[in-house]
Amino acid sequence: MIVGGCDIGSTTGKAVIMKDGEIIASTIIPSTTKPEETARMAMDEALKQADLSSIDDLDYIVGTGYGRLKVQFAKENISEISCHARGAHWMSPTVRTVVDIGGQDCKVMSISDEGKVVEFVMNDRCAAGTGRFFEGMARVLHCGLDGISSLENQGAEPSTITSQCSVFAESEVVTLINEGSDLKNIIAGINNSVSGRLNSMVRKVGLVEDVALTGGCAKNAGLAKALEKHLKVSVKQLPHDPQIAGAVGAALIAVEKAAG
Amino acid sequence: METNIKSKTLDEFKTITGTMINPAVQEWKDNGGKVIGYFCCNIPDEVMTAAGILPLRLRGTGSTGTELSDAFYSSINCSFPRHVFNMALNHEFDILDGLIVPNSCDHIRRIYDNWLRQLDIGFLEMFNLPRKVEEPQVQWYKDEVHLLVEKLEKQFGVEITEEKLKNAIKLHNENRRLLKQIYELRKVDNPPITGGQMIAVIVAGTAIPRDKYNEMLKELLEDLKGAEGIKDHRARLMVLGGILDDPEYMDILEDQGGLVVTDSICFGTRLFWTEVSEEGDPYEAIARYQIQQRPTCPRSYGDQPKRAQYLLDMIKEFKVDGVIGERLLFCDSWVVEHYMNDQDLKEAGVPFLKLDREYILSGKGQLRTRVQAFLEMLGGK
Ligand SMILES: Nc1ncnc2c1ncn2[C@@H]1O[C@H](COP(=O)(O)OP(=O)(O)OP(=O)(O)O)[C@@H](O)[C@H]1O
Ligand SMILES: [Mg+2]
Repeated sequence: MIVGGCDIGSTTGKAVIMKDGEIIASTIIPSTTKPEETARMAMDEALKQADLSSIDDLDYIVGTGYGRLKVQFAKENISEISCHARGAHWMSPTVRTVVDIGGQDCKVMSISDEGKVVEFVMNDRCAAGTGRFFEGMARVLHCGLDGISSLENQGAEPSTITSQCSVFAESEVVTLINEGSDLKNIIAGINNSVSGRLNSMVRKVGLVEDVALTGGCAKNAGLAKALEKHLKVSVKQLPHDPQIAGAVGAALIAVEKAAG
Repeated sequence: METNIKSKTLDEFKTITGTMINPAVQEWKDNGGKVIGYFCCNIPDEVMTAAGILPLRLRGTGSTGTELSDAFYSSINCSFPRHVFNMALNHEFDILDGLIVPNSCDHIRRIYDNWLRQLDIGFLEMFNLPRKVEEPQVQWYKDEVHLLVEKLEKQFGVEITEEKLKNAIKLHNENRRLLKQIYELRKVDNPPITGGQMIAVIVAGTAIPRDKYNEMLKELLEDLKGAEGIKDHRARLMVLGGILDDPEYMDILEDQGGLVVTDSICFGTRLFWTEVSEEGDPYEAIARYQIQQRPTCPRSYGDQPKRAQYLLDMIKEFKVDGVIGERLLFCDSWVVEHYMNDQDLKEAGVPFLKLDREYILSGKGQLRTRVQAFLEMLGGK
């Protein structure tokens, strides 16, 4: 059986094609202002990668993410909360807590041994602790996202950034820069402050190991390291790109749906 | 959610709820009637009815911003009073002959202070509510009702006899009984009415003369009895929280396939689940109803266990699969209550979703994601 999962997030569009339980293609493209087109473009690229000539070769497609209702070729839409849970669980079945940090939202799910959501929390309408936040910081620090992620850049004495609001946090960082603080300490401080926020979200659903990060910000190594310190447990490394976890989950649900 | 109910009365309720000064209010005024605005469930609106005055519960329906009122509130004030006061500053409530403000919470009571300073109104009264729910507080509330009656009589040149008060109680009790009858219809597997429709019915009842409301409720009941039940829902939900008066918010909850079958909200069962005694001293009856007999909101002290039990009873009576707890941002009454509800519901094995919101609906995308995920969780997807 060949199925597809399409995750149209606030920031990127992801498409995954799975055949007999294996990922045979996956793509990540920036979201456009037309979710229908983002979905189409991501899926077309995945089809090419999988050497398939037409979308009709797929038995079932599930859409997810903010744009889930706009994935016109999907037969069903499922929330990204359920999809990230399923995807992370498939990638690593021992995972019980999933932290999805995307471009605009962060969500923490506690999941069952079957990969089903038992409880979840989501950030409020504020970008603190999401991709937007890191991008803003990278801009004022002139260091790029890689600069914030890089393990070499995690200073030993993280600066204190207390503001819960990304706009104010940015101005705190500007102040630190102007006070002459060490840039690596500021970077460590940024990852530290986001970790504090994520930690309190994790505590709301209850910390159960293993913990895994999904979404694009899961690729921020500095953040993962800081979060481990806050949670006092290690974060499970996933064997696949964590950013496509939602699309993978959607594809897995497509398998179930196709079976009826 | 598919409902095939055809009811002219229901459409009328929706129209009334969709605006603040509805045609019935205007008509009342045009006929020389007086209108008094008020807030919350804990003002004895029977007293206004007894005085021949129309009690109009104020909302911020239709408000598009708070640029005028923000100057009088801080950034940690609830959006409800900000929107309402903005409308007041915009002269959208000039039709009122009076206003009664309870000290329900610190956000709402400040509407009184701000109104006093910034606006002219013939009659402006602070209704001082107690916090505890014991005998001295019943007496306190009774004194407040007496005080209100005296002031209304003086201001509007009316006489509010015990007889009139008793008749008003009977009329309002009939409101309550009829609403409860509609809720009875929601207990079945295929209720005839959605949560979005129901809230429109309840809100409308706080904005039109209560005798007219009773007639409309009777018509609606007839329409509902003939209606086919809703079948395509995948879960039965209860909504728990505060000042929720927006059918669209309920619609969004229900668009994801959950049918709201009951609630404990300020425009919901807390208004009508119990009745005011029609025996004895009407002042005493109203006071006891308000302090001890009505399902309370978390503003009152000492009866949290009773409130917690009310929630569990509702869940059982209405066969609720999951509870959605909504809270206006910065509402300090509800915030800790929801944590307690969370604990109780975990113990009872009933899934609970906590949602923060602004008074005027915003952030629909996130709201849909949360609710859809919650329903998928209920369905084990
Ligand atoms: N290599 C990387 N290192 C650090 N951050 C990264 C990396 N790659 C992507 N990101 C971050 O991931 C974010 C996008 O993540 P993702 O694709 O999960 O978001 P989304 O699903 O569109 O958003 P949402 O779930 O909030 O709607 C970007 O904002 C970017 O900051
Ligand atoms: Mg996402």
